[in-house]
Amino acid sequence: MKKGANEVLFGLYDDEEILLKAVKQAKNDHLDIMDVYTPFPVHGLDPILGLSESRLHVAGFIYGAIGCLFGFLFMTWVFTRDWPIIFGGKPYFSAPAFIPITFELTVLFAAVGMVVTFYVICGMGPGTINPTLDDRITDDKFCIAFNTNDANQDAIDRLKGFFSATGASEVNTKTI
Amino acid sequence: MNQFTFEARQKATLGGFMILGLLCMGLTAIGDDGHYTRLWSNYLHNSVFFTGIALFSLFIISAFTTAWAGWYSQFKRIFEAYSLFLIPGLVLMLVIVAGLWGGMHHLYHWADPNTLDPNSTHYDPILVGKSSFLNANWYTFGTLVFMAIWIFFAWKMRQISLDEDTNGTTDWNHHHRLRIWAAAFLPIAGFTSAAVVWQWVMSVDSHWYSTLFAWYCGASWFVSAIALGIMSLAWLKSKGYYERVSSEHLHDLGKFLFAFSIFWTYLWFSQFMLIWYGNNGEETVYFFERMNNYPVLFYGNLAINFILPFFILMRNDTKRKYGTLIFASILVLFGHWLDFFLMIKPGVLHTKHEMSGHHGAGHGDAGHHGTDHAADAGHHVADAAGHGADHAADAAHGVAETAAHHASSAFEAGFSLPGLLEVGTFLGFLAFFLYMFLHNLSKANLEPKNEPYLGESYHHHV
Repeated sequence: MKKGANEVLFGLYDDEEILLKAVKQAKNDHLDIMDVYTPFPVHGLDPILGLSESRLHVAGFIYGAIGCLFGFLFMTWVFTRDWPIIFGGKPYFSAPAFIPITFELTVLFAAVGMVVTFYVICGMGPGTINPTLDDRITDDKFCIAFNTNDANQDAIDRLKGFFSATGASEVNTKTI
Repeated sequence: MNQFTFEARQKATLGGFMILGLLCMGLTAIGDDGHYTRLWSNYLHNSVFFTGIALFSLFIISAFTTAWAGWYSQFKRIFEAYSLFLIPGLVLMLVIVAGLWGGMHHLYHWADPNTLDPNSTHYDPILVGKSSFLNANWYTFGTLVFMAIWIFFAWKMRQISLDEDTNGTTDWNHHHRLRIWAAAFLPIAGFTSAAVVWQWVMSVDSHWYSTLFAWYCGASWFVSAIALGIMSLAWLKSKGYYERVSSEHLHDLGKFLFAFSIFWTYLWFSQFMLIWYGNNGEETVYFFERMNNYPVLFYGNLAINFILPFFILMRNDTKRKYGTLIFASILVLFGHWLDFFLMIKPGVLHTKHEMSGHHGAGHGDAGHHGTDHAADAGHHVADAAGHGADHAADAAHGVAETAAHHASSAFEAGFSLPGLLEVGTFLGFLAFFLYMFLHNLSKANLEPKNEPYLGESYHHHV
């Protein structure tokens, strides 16, 4: 979706129970929801919207595995090839001594990798401006948004009818 | 169905396994040495394992209650029923105490009076130094008094919970009282469990000590209690009970199994690495013996209790499916039984050899040997500059010689690896534990009534 080129019609709801019912209704009416915005994760919303499970944790596992191998192999190289030092009379290659740092690097790679991946996928980062439909959707309002770029007046009326039928407290439009 | 019926067929099955266990113990006794060391050590191993599971079930209830956990309140009666096994557990442990006073077993080297006698060939100055704690009086006191305290808490919290079913009010008076008892039990459980673990388990290696040992044992019991809880819940569900317990609850129990397997590994490794790094002869002897004489159990322990549950339970869906979750639970329960086997058996075998005179004369010096070798090891390090690896190997060899004083590496049935008789005894004890569990479960409503968090538990969603 290009930014600044989307006509959005959205309704604000006061409560997540009303929102869940409305989303169900929208699915039954075959309305094409652009997105749903809530101030906190609403239980049971993902399956109704038909969102598949996030694969971010798969990425996390891969980053963790890379960090694990990197940490262990790097220390092995340092202590056996590059700069061997004797610690406490132990052999140069002492796996138990490498494990804490290997663990730390596994966590570091997984954590940082997942954060970066998340930011890239969501198109977020320093300097990006993410327009919000309404400031209150980060506070106490629950929002269902429809993209009305190609919608004719009939379709818009139908969406407005849907909002009033499902108990939206406000209905607005915005171009983002 | 809110009332569990303990059917005659189930009683018969469990009774059959208990008879199998007794039979295995009898067979163990027939082929045993004069002190019945294999039989006694199997008995100690299983008694400690299942008593500890009961203790940590009470700990789990207390921790969850203190943490305001609501999700588990539907099936808290399972852990309550587990915790009541502390009463038979006390009887089991009192047999060990009686054996200690009667000189019937030689599980603990410190219990041999000759070790305290300066004129004896078995005189052991290290054990003299520890004798103010490692003695029959303290052992009896710890077992009797500490277990009595646990039983009192288990009974008290069970009473409040049962009373809530009939007399519960909406000012949640029962729950408030339960929270006070639960919070009081946590520190008590922490200190007393450590003290009895030192006596019951750690003192079989009577020269050795580790400050992390109690936590490590406790984590082992905790994971076992969770694994057994998952399997009990799945079995009860398959019988049509607990209809409102869903994969959401199993998911959370699976997370506990996963997380505390990692926690156990963390403690295991912390204990290992500090001792390995310190390279102090009197500490390394514990691991040196296990790594060299029990390699299958030593490395298998890590594989079965860490690597397998870690990779099996890592994904979201494996914690929600019966197949993978129960497979991991069986692995972990048996794995921690093996873990306790490895804690207890090598030390008992060493004591057995001492008692039967294999190393009798040499033993008085063992402490000094340890010190000498540690000094040697230090010396090697001092002049090691340049050829580190070779000398490190020498230093390790020094420890190996110390370890050689403590155990023979020859295969010993029932000690080097658990045999069929050990597994049979385990099944007998497991059946006894489950019999008492189901008996206590059938005495109360399966789901508590008037419990403030019940609604949260019904609607639990992860």
